[in-house]
Amino acid sequence: MSVFAKTAYFWRSAASGLRHAPFIHFVAVTTIAIAIFSAGLAQATGRMVEALIGSLGGEVQVTVYLSPELDEEGAAVLRERMVALSGGRANLVPPRAALERLATELGDLGEALAQLPENPLPPSLELEVPQERRTPGALKALAQQLRAMPGVTGVDYGEEAVERLSAISKALRYGGWVAFAVVLLATVVIVSATLQLAIYARRGEIEIQKLVGATDRFVKAPFLIEGFLQGLLGAGVALAGLLAFERLAGPGLASLFSFLVGPGGMVPLLEPRIALELLAAGCGLGLGGSFIAVGRFLRV
Amino acid sequence: MIQMFHVYKAYPGDPPVLSDINLHVQKGEFVFLTGPSGAGKTTLMKLIFCGEKATKGQILVGGRNIARIRESAIPYLRRNIGVVFQDFKLLPHRTVEDNVAFALDVLGVPRAVARERVQRMLKLVGLQHKASSMPLKLSGGEQQRVVIARALVNDPTILLADEPTGNLDPALTLEIMDLLMDVNARGTTVMVATHDHSLITRYQKRTLRLENGFIVSDEDGVKAARRMAAG
Ligand SMILES: Nc1ncnc2c1ncn2[C@@H]1O[C@H](COP(=O)(O)OP(=O)(O)OP(=O)(O)O)[C@@H](O)[C@H]1O
Ligand SMILES: [Mg+2]
Repeated sequence: MSVFAKTAYFWRSAASGLRHAPFIHFVAVTTIAIAIFSAGLAQATGRMVEALIGSLGGEVQVTVYLSPELDEEGAAVLRERMVALSGGRANLVPPRAALERLATELGDLGEALAQLPENPLPPSLELEVPQERRTPGALKALAQQLRAMPGVTGVDYGEEAVERLSAISKALRYGGWVAFAVVLLATVVIVSATLQLAIYARRGEIEIQKLVGATDRFVKAPFLIEGFLQGLLGAGVALAGLLAFERLAGPGLASLFSFLVGPGGMVPLLEPRIALELLAAGCGLGLGGSFIAVGRFLRV
Repeated sequence: MIQMFHVYKAYPGDPPVLSDINLHVQKGEFVFLTGPSGAGKTTLMKLIFCGEKATKGQILVGGRNIARIRESAIPYLRRNIGVVFQDFKLLPHRTVEDNVAFALDVLGVPRAVARERVQRMLKLVGLQHKASSMPLKLSGGEQQRVVIARALVNDPTILLADEPTGNLDPALTLEIMDLLMDVNARGTTVMVATHDHSLITRYQKRTLRLENGFIVSDEDGVKAARRMAAG
């Protein structure tokens, strides 16, 4: 009895299984590769969308309009409270400064503003919210609190844009999960079907194994290893595909991204940790499929 | 070595194919099992190596009650029983050597040790020169000798042979039978199912006769041979 001899036998047997039914295993490996490749692309897309939303969120500035009756002292008090509330920075913009800014933005037309008998703009506070509180929910809650403060006449944070973006990212995420679940299920089904064929192809061998006293586990182990190898191979192919894709499409994507987000906004398609996760997912798929096949079709 | 007490076997939905079987085979005995087609010879052998489960009764193999054996214990029982069938059951894409080694792979015997034992077995059955041939390139008798080598490589205490010569011409039949006698002479308990009365006459061994699932006679070799000779 030697564990080593048995292990060696399992791997030999699995390898010969792969060699003797190459087409069946090609189908399984390809299926796993496609699933893992799509998952890799999907997660990269997800991270890009997230980066995109994050960068747009970075431009989200909360503008708090103050009552014109408020004097400078009152405004300063409010500013302190807002800083404390939001944990960010606040910049007080007096009406005069606001008017000047508007004039510059309008250019030639701005001249007309100078003709106004009095400044129509209220004083305002520009609130810069720290990164972690830029989520739509947190912004909404903050706006509500700010509106409730005495001396505040209005709060504006580009509500609609933020909410729409977050709805899009949410939809993308859910859609991604559903698609992933479907692909996962289909892959497991296909892998287990191919292994069923492999089991069928080796039924003579299995019959003899049982006749000469092989245990259930001994009969099953090579098929589980075959599934595992399929997963490993499939994931390897997918990773190679993702790397090639990054090589080919990377520069184009990067320039698109720097246009949308700004330089350095590009996320790498494959990080080592994600590559490892994908590899593990591939092995899991192969192993899962073979577990099902062995459980259902190999009644020993 | 093999004992049966009031054993019945019925396949679901059918009348019993074996009824009230009682038998006692001693260690080292050689037994012929004969009877018309459909009498239940194969079924009786299957009961011994747990290829089928008895419907009723007790079966002891090597002192162990296998009527109530756990699924997981069956492989260990089978390692003590070599089985030979009429239709060889060799793996066509593996060499003779690998086919014999197959029974040792299952036990986790390291390759080097296995190789040596396989060589010894092939020598015993007279096929050492065919070690690296493919089974389908061998004659029927040679193929059956490979099967016997595979059945014996693990040193079983019992050898069950179900019509081992059913596909062989008379000369090859005697060759295989002589080999089985040799195996028996070395101490293995051997049970051979056969239609071939000439074998019973020739070898004069204890003979169990099955008809319609009943044991209708159980005679020593001389008596059985005399009865066969009388027709
Ligand atoms: N798996 C099975 N399911 C149902 N009936 C079976 C099964 N195997 C055998 N039988 C029936 O059991 C009876 C005995 O069959 P068995 O194979 O034991 O006979 P046998 O004596 O070996 O015959 P032969 O000399 O033709 O090999 C037969 O009537 C057969 O039809
Ligand atoms: Mg039969």
